This record gives sequence, C-alpha cells and structure tokens, in this order.
Amino acid sequence: MNEDTLILYYYNDGLSKRERQQVEEAINSDAAVAANYEKLCQQLNGMSEPDSPAVPSHTVERWHDAIDRAARHERVKAQSPARSFNPWSFIWGAAIAAALAIGIGLNMTRVDPEIMAPATVPGAFTRGVQVHFRDTFQELSTLPTDSATDRSMLALQIIEQNRLFERAAEQNNSQSLARVFRAFEPVLLQLAAEDISPEDAAALQAQLIFELNVMLTKLSRDASNETDTSQPGIRT
Amino acid sequence: MVANLQTPGLPTQADFHAAISDRSDRWFAACLKITRNRDMADDAVQDALLNAWNKRHQFDNTARLDTWIHRIAINAALQLLRKNRPAAFEPLETDVEDDADTPETVQAEHELGKRLSAAMTHLSEFERVCFVLKHLEQWRLKEIAEEVGSDVGAVKQGIFRAVRKLRVRMGSLKGEET
Repeated sequence: MNEDTLILYYYNDGLSKRERQQVEEAINSDAAVAANYEKLCQQLNGMSEPDSPAVPSHTVERWHDAIDRAARHERVKAQSPARSFNPWSFIWGAAIAAALAIGIGLNMTRVDPEIMAPATVPGAFTRGVQVHFRDTFQELSTLPTDSATDRSMLALQIIEQNRLFERAAEQNNSQSLARVFRAFEPVLLQLAAEDISPEDAAALQAQLIFELNVMLTKLSRDASNETDTSQPGIRT
Repeated sequence: MVANLQTPGLPTQADFHAAISDRSDRWFAACLKITRNRDMADDAVQDALLNAWNKRHQFDNTARLDTWIHRIAINAALQLLRKNRPAAFEPLETDVEDDADTPETVQAEHELGKRLSAAMTHLSEFERVCFVLKHLEQWRLKEIAEEVGSDVGAVKQGIFRAVRKLRVRMGSLKGEET
C-alpha cells in the first residue's frame, strides 16, 4: 500500500469505493500499513491552519466602506432617471474609446509579448491614461457642487470609464495603474451619492482633484524620464 | 426603489458588515495563503465582497453568508494569482521549489509565522495551491482541478508532492527545535 493511496484515503477523496475497502482491509490486516497510516494521520493533523494574520483596522474599515458605497451606488442608480443624450457622455465616450484603442491597439500590434518585459507599460497606453486623467481633472474642476444630480451622474460616468481603464491597465501588464483606478472608486462612489452635503461633496471633489493632479505629475515625470533615457548618448 | 436592499431573504448591508467584522481575518488569511502577497490578498477580499454584494440574489439562504464570501474570496485570490503569476497553474513537470521570495512574501510568511507556513515556502506554487485548497479549505479534487484549469491526476500529484515535502520539512524543523 503506497503513501499516495493512504493520502487519498485520509482525505476521503479520489478513491473508488472498492479502493477504499482495499485500504481498510490493508490497515486492518497489516501492522506495517496501519503504522504508516497512523503516522501519516498524525503528521497531516499536525499541519493545522496557522493563526490568522492580523488585518489592519484601516483595511477592515475599507471593506466596510466598500459595502456601504456599493449599497449607496445601487440606491443612486435605482433612483436616477433614465438618461437622455448628454453631450458630455458623447465626448467622454469618444475620448475613452480613442484612448483605449491607442493603448490596446498598439500593444497588440506593435509589442511582441515575448519581448515585452512583464512590467513594461506601453507609452501609448500611458498617454491615453494621461488624457483621461486630464479630462477628468477638468470636468471635476468645473463641476458645480450645488447640483447633486449632475455631480452624481458625472461621478458614475467616471467610475464606468475608470473600470474600462482598469481592465485595459491589466491587459497592458500594469497592475499598479489598475490599482490606482481601483483606489479612486471608493471616493467617486461617495461623490456619486446624492444625499451628501454640498460641503462634503466639495471636500471629495477637492480630494479627487488633488489626487488626479498627483497622478498627472507622476505620469508626466515618468514619461519625461523615459524620453531622456531613450535618447542616444544621454545617460541619467 | 431601495427594495432590492431589503428584499426578504437577501443578505442585507448589516449582514455583510457582521460577516466582515467576524470573518474577514479568515478570508484574508485564506487569500494570503493562496497568493503569499498582502496586496493581492487584500484585493481578493475586496473584490469578493463587492462581487458577493452584487450577486447576493444568488445567495442560498440555507448557507452561511461568511462561508459563501470565503469561497468567493478564494476564487478571487486564484484569479488574481492566475493573472499575476500564470506559472502557478502549470502542473508539475519539474520539481522546482517556489524560491521567488520577495520582501512581500517574506513579510507574509513572517505574519503567518508558523511551522506549516515556513515549510510551505518550499512548495512550488502549484503544489501550494493544491495543498491549501485540499488540506486547509477541504475542496474536492475535482473542484480544485476545475479551478486551476488542470486535471484531477495533476492535482493529485501536486498534493502528493506537497505532503511529501511538508512531512520532510516539518519533521526536520521539529528536529531542529528539539
């Protein structure tokens, strides 16, 4: 009776009824098999689950918040009137489609996946992200805080677009950018809620504008470093 | 139109909060064992929560909400792992240990901090995933095979090798302690 069979017997999985009976018979009739199995049981029982690592309280809070925001988002969505044509939507949609087409298209046609390092993000995609961040920045900067419906619709629109970019970032092997898009979502969901005060909305708006600015600066700096180092003869 | 948040039988926002308070550490631990990466485990739990919330109409009322979310979190962790480290789902052709320790994985192992965790660092990703799902999560072989996109035979081999290595490693660690 080999060890592998005893392991399957222990887990009560992967053996037929007949095979289980054979193992049982062997354990009952053969002292060596019985001893082997007992030792195996002791060792496997000893491989108990370690204590759960402590999860930082802010992380747990974030998970609670995620549920609250998802619930609020659902309520806002349910309460929102059917959308009529909105020129913003059209412009946004076109910009996003173009940015995605540039980002993904170039990645598919020009970048050989075997050559491309896993962490490399195509420049065209990064530029698409920059355009998206810049447009978002401008929209948020000019958004009147006194119109809850407009604010909510814009926030929901940005969320939808960010999700597209998040997926595109993942396809472009940029987990860090994907995480950035995910990180914006909780704040945007808060902004999308129509029941927050204008003061809270203004604070969230300011927070988003600040964070977008940080991202735009970072992306510009990265792009400029890339350009510098790609020029022959120039070393940084 | 908030009825869908209060439909009888559907888990409520409060149910989700209670489950997070009671069990999120276990979800996180399970995801951490799969991914060995705090960020991925964190993302997996958050994805699972949002997924569970959005699909709560599919929840079977006779089951436990926290168990359901636990399962979704494991799936989310496997998905993230597949996306980030596709080699984890390659059945074993060679007996290679997962030696790609990064500061994050070292930290993760330090946090798990037990002999089993230390021994598990010597498993390949595939072996670790198979072992965790079988031994710690009590999944059926068939379920594991489906989830990792392999066959039952390969999963069995992954588990056999994992158990063999762990028995040796844990035996020698025990010997070192005494």
